Amino acid sequence: MKKIILSVVMLAAVDSYAAVSEDSKIFTPYFDMTLMEAAYLPSKGNIFSGGNINTQVGLLTKITKNDSVFGLYNFNYTGPAFQPQDSKQFTDRNMSHGFNFEYRRNLGEKFRVRPGVSLVTDYSRSGANEAWQNGLYNMSSKGGQLAADYNFDFDRNGFLTATYIVRKITFPNYTDLLREFKNANNTAETSGGLQDQSLTQFSFRPNWNGFFAGYTYTQQIYKHQMVVDAHSGVYGSTKQKDKSTMIDGGFRQRLWIFDLSPMLSYTIHRSNQNYLRYKSALGGDITNMADGSNDITMVAKNYDYNELTFSVPADLNITGKWAIGGAINVTRRVYTDRGARNVDNNYTASKQHNLMSTLTGSIRKRMNDVATMRLFYSLVVASSNNKFEKYMPSNYTGNSFGVAYQLSY
Amino acid sequence: MKKLILILAVLLCLGGRSFAAVDWESKGMQLAGEIVANPSAFFYDFQQDLEGTTPLPPGKRFSVQTGLFPSLLPMGYMNLSGKYRLHGEGRIAPGVPQLDLIGGYCDMYWAKMLAKQSDSIDSAKLNGYYLGAILSSSVSPKIRTFWGYKRSVLGAKFEFAPGEELDLMGTKVGNIDTGFKDDFLMAGIETPKGINKFWSMQLNYGIRTQTFSTKLSWYGPHFELGINIYPEGVLVFHPVWNFHVNF
Repeated sequence: MKKIILSVVMLAAVDSYAAVSEDSKIFTPYFDMTLMEAAYLPSKGNIFSGGNINTQVGLLTKITKNDSVFGLYNFNYTGPAFQPQDSKQFTDRNMSHGFNFEYRRNLGEKFRVRPGVSLVTDYSRSGANEAWQNGLYNMSSKGGQLAADYNFDFDRNGFLTATYIVRKITFPNYTDLLREFKNANNTAETSGGLQDQSLTQFSFRPNWNGFFAGYTYTQQIYKHQMVVDAHSGVYGSTKQKDKSTMIDGGFRQRLWIFDLSPMLSYTIHRSNQNYLRYKSALGGDITNMADGSNDITMVAKNYDYNELTFSVPADLNITGKWAIGGAINVTRRVYTDRGARNVDNNYTASKQHNLMSTLTGSIRKRMNDVATMRLFYSLVVASSNNKFEKYMPSNYTGNSFGVAYQLSY
Repeated sequence: MKKLILILAVLLCLGGRSFAAVDWESKGMQLAGEIVANPSAFFYDFQQDLEGTTPLPPGKRFSVQTGLFPSLLPMGYMNLSGKYRLHGEGRIAPGVPQLDLIGGYCDMYWAKMLAKQSDSIDSAKLNGYYLGAILSSSVSPKIRTFWGYKRSVLGAKFEFAPGEELDLMGTKVGNIDTGFKDDFLMAGIETPKGINKFWSMQLNYGIRTQTFSTKLSWYGPHFELGINIYPEGVLVFHPVWNFHVNF
């Protein structure tokens, strides 16, 4: 869930800059629509279909030579799909509406500032097909940004961007069922709003000649969620706080008949939250919470991890219209303190680590200057030393094949 | 092309070990359950197939359209749609978009047949209509974007003969009166594929029910071929074939 929030916020921030090229026109419309639909066949579970729709509609209005306003609406739907371990169920879906408004002011030839506001509503839906309005993790986010660009090489599109964003994020439907059950007379006040948080993010991104890199620091401060004390196992007086630092880099280049866009990122995530694992609701032995096979086990720093991701997509242009594509995506997450669990839900001595690799082969057809179509097949291999898979699979393989369209102006 | 097939075959072989047996019976029961849970939404997807939601080609004043597949066959939707251009792009003043009015009506023939053939159903109606408007504006010689609104309504009414009522957990149900109604916003982009031939992609979003779909369409002077995708629908892919005449 935290990753979804980060993705939504970061997409909104990145898209608002990358959306349009400015020219001498007063109005410059922007339209980008991507559609992907695929069939998924996992080694555990039955075949299912899923897809992704992303529609961005924007308008850049040039008021004066140095002042412009950019508005962008973004509709995004993410359907059922294979998911990295410890994230979501295959059948979970998300749909979001995002609005970004940005004022752009040129300061001389090389500098530009971009204050802006952002509103996002995100709906989530599980495999139970509840109404979109009733999703447990429905989220709304509002906030502002201040970005500054420094253009140091006009010929090779070289610029530095620093962005500071602030978001207030609420989860109106989120509740703690256990607390409601235990405190039935006073439910709404005590069990709601536990995911509500404020998010601040600072990023610094240099770009030059198709090469890019970035440093992003994100902090999430929870409004109501308290930290479980690592010694007593009960909620204390400290509020949950998560921090995430990401460094990434890559390039987009055309080399001979190849289009290459490799990317590498490394994320360090830290949280002050701990985790009290109950093997069953009836477990009550709190005498030895450090024992990984006890009914109740305390896992301090359960959510801390380091994650390495790299992807190497490449297209081999056979003709001007046709290309063969291949891509490798690898995500490896290592938990710093969380032990791996065996099939009996007992913690082992080794720390949990997950690996998810995706190998994709595709055929791309460029339909005209603005539209492309891609047929693809992907093989996903997910492995982990966590063998307790009663609720979510950690070790599986999966095949998917589908079609994707993109139309962008 | 042979190399492409070979590469894909190798990839499929690599992945072959991970294929689990597909449980089609279970999948069929799941889909049937989704239809029973919300039949109106299921039938409304077929109504969307016959709805004409692209702008009139430049220079045309009006058109008539009928959906052939899957609306007329096999779903039995008798249907007729029309578009009327209120004004062409730039006619009133430079930069003013083209404005088209759209609308149509459909009636499921199989529902009437069911009522006639069945002793337990007195009457069965499944019909719908839509009305709306589309603004379209050229942003380059090869690109036209369009924006629209439509109100779509589908009604489903079944009356059972006295003594033949449905028994739902001990409760007698004499008639079922349900349907689907929503206001949709549309956004799309169109690009030419040849002389009088176009390709378009659009998003339809229902404000109240949050129903959404995308339509990919290839259309010429008389026929439209399309793939409509309903990501949250029972049948996600609908291949579409419509006939139209533009004047």
